Amino acid sequence: MKRVPLSELERIYEALKSYGSVWVRKKNAYETAETPEELLSTVSKVKKPAKFIFLPEEEPLLAFVQDGKNVTFQEVIREAKGVIFGIPPCEAKAISLLDLNFLQGEGEDIYYKKRRENVLLFGLACLAPDSRCFCTTFGYGPFTESFTDIFGVVVDDVLLFEGITEKGKDLVKNLDVEDAKGEELKKLEAMKKEITERVKKLDIQGIQEKLARMMDSEIWDKISSSCLGCGACTYYCPTCYCFDIQDVERPNWGYRLRTWDSCMFTLYTLEGSGHNPRPELKYRWRNRLMHKFNYYPVLYQEFGCVGCGRCIEVCPVNIDIREILMEVKNEPIRA
Amino acid sequence: MNPYAPELYRIKKTVFESDDFTLKSFLLEPIDGNMMDFIPGQFCEISVFGKGEAPFGIASAPHEKEGLLFTVNRVGLVTGALHEMEEGHIVGIRGPLGNGYPVDEFKGKNVVIIGGGFAFTTLRSLTLYLLENRKDYGKITVIYGARRPGLLLYKEDLANWEKRGDIELHLTVDTEFPEWDKHVGFVPQVLEKVAPSPENAYAVVCGPPVMIKFTLPVLAKLGFEKDKVYTSLERRMKCGIGKCGRCNIGPYYVCKDGPVFSLAQLEKLPKEY
Repeated sequence: MKRVPLSELERIYEALKSYGSVWVRKKNAYETAETPEELLSTVSKVKKPAKFIFLPEEEPLLAFVQDGKNVTFQEVIREAKGVIFGIPPCEAKAISLLDLNFLQGEGEDIYYKKRRENVLLFGLACLAPDSRCFCTTFGYGPFTESFTDIFGVVVDDVLLFEGITEKGKDLVKNLDVEDAKGEELKKLEAMKKEITERVKKLDIQGIQEKLARMMDSEIWDKISSSCLGCGACTYYCPTCYCFDIQDVERPNWGYRLRTWDSCMFTLYTLEGSGHNPRPELKYRWRNRLMHKFNYYPVLYQEFGCVGCGRCIEVCPVNIDIREILMEVKNEPIRA
Repeated sequence: MNPYAPELYRIKKTVFESDDFTLKSFLLEPIDGNMMDFIPGQFCEISVFGKGEAPFGIASAPHEKEGLLFTVNRVGLVTGALHEMEEGHIVGIRGPLGNGYPVDEFKGKNVVIIGGGFAFTTLRSLTLYLLENRKDYGKITVIYGARRPGLLLYKEDLANWEKRGDIELHLTVDTEFPEWDKHVGFVPQVLEKVAPSPENAYAVVCGPPVMIKFTLPVLAKLGFEKDKVYTSLERRMKCGIGKCGRCNIGPYYVCKDGPVFSLAQLEKLPKEY
């Protein structure tokens, strides 16, 4: 592990800058830093997760020109290069879950990939988990380094960090920094234990199997009864990735646009015939919860939730996914 | 490779299939001359540039090299714009997408093809494929119905099949019509009357939900096992490659893992279709 005093962070900043954009935590979103001081952001949970850097709210996929009956088009790929500095373990893990959807299988999403390949995650341990955090439920915690390229912890007025992936190690190798001191590492261990224990862990053992038997449960009526179907939970969720593709038409030209979408919307599944396989909110709720806690585990052996608590925070009617998980757990199965 | 980038195809021919002008077929040829290879039951996303994309089952058979055939029901933005297009217009095609019918599994077996309404598109592809590879398959029975004679698709093909001795064709319409001398009644009733043997046989069913609903019990009564009955599902789709999320049924995506499923597979999944 390496160390750099916070007062000398510009040394790191310059190195990151030479790699590309440097995104830092601002209150509402990750933004590119203008000065090294901005690396010192104390925001522990950015309102809008970093997924937009890899999967923008909207992006053109291709642009076309029409000339009478003829059409020609060009691919448009918006690239990104740089480092997200200070991304917490929950968001880094969320990105690893997005990778499962966008990078696995034959239909690799090159738009996502071009950005993912060139943006490093410089993670920082989360020192201030809040009352809505439940990350430890999912087998990792505020000090988990494994989903990042470089991982660091601020201990007093020093940043301790190390390269995790090959790319991360390469970047660290080229920095002129000292090794961490013994007492700093000792303090780090103590912080890790104390802060990790602060996160309230849910017992969701067996939830995947339980949900598999609850397709026809009445619980979905209950859960969805106060929901407005606004989709805020899905937009702010760092693991939600559903998207729509639409054409934008101008006289003689246009472009194909990918935008975020949400499974909470009626239009998401409405078919041309008027038939909707998920016609009511309860079915959409069932799908959302199933996707995160049953379908994702079936497909990838990973839950599709990282316990960041954003959906709890942004819900206008105070729906709390932790309470819902506990309700699911305690709901008796009718024969 | 960019899975969202279509290939450009030119409309070679269009024809109205139904007498109410809601169903129009498009024969498309690739402008670079490279016809795609595919399996009956697969589908493509057709782009009408400026309007968007929509999924359509491929109605031509793989050996029909003159072009890809799609039959389009005019319902919305993309299909409406497509209906306005003529010979020479350029559209985009992404595909083939999805799994297709298990034509290898059908080898050496009798195949009963049951279709209703305009869902006969990929069944045309399948039937022609089986006929093209006739010696690989046993008895072929086709039961196909529409509300009235003017709504039956592919009349030329149906006429050809009637003339052949190696395929049994049963056409039906819902009620009596002048000069209609074939079956009268709904598809499930005709199926019950024809009563194909489940022995060494597979059944493929495509049609409107209400037809499927009443056909499946008849197949069960005839003795078809659930793993010997296949159907092709429709869902709203965007990406076509299992990424955008919307067409899932349980953990599976209709676009990628389907659209063809056996009843045995569907039985284990939520009824979200």
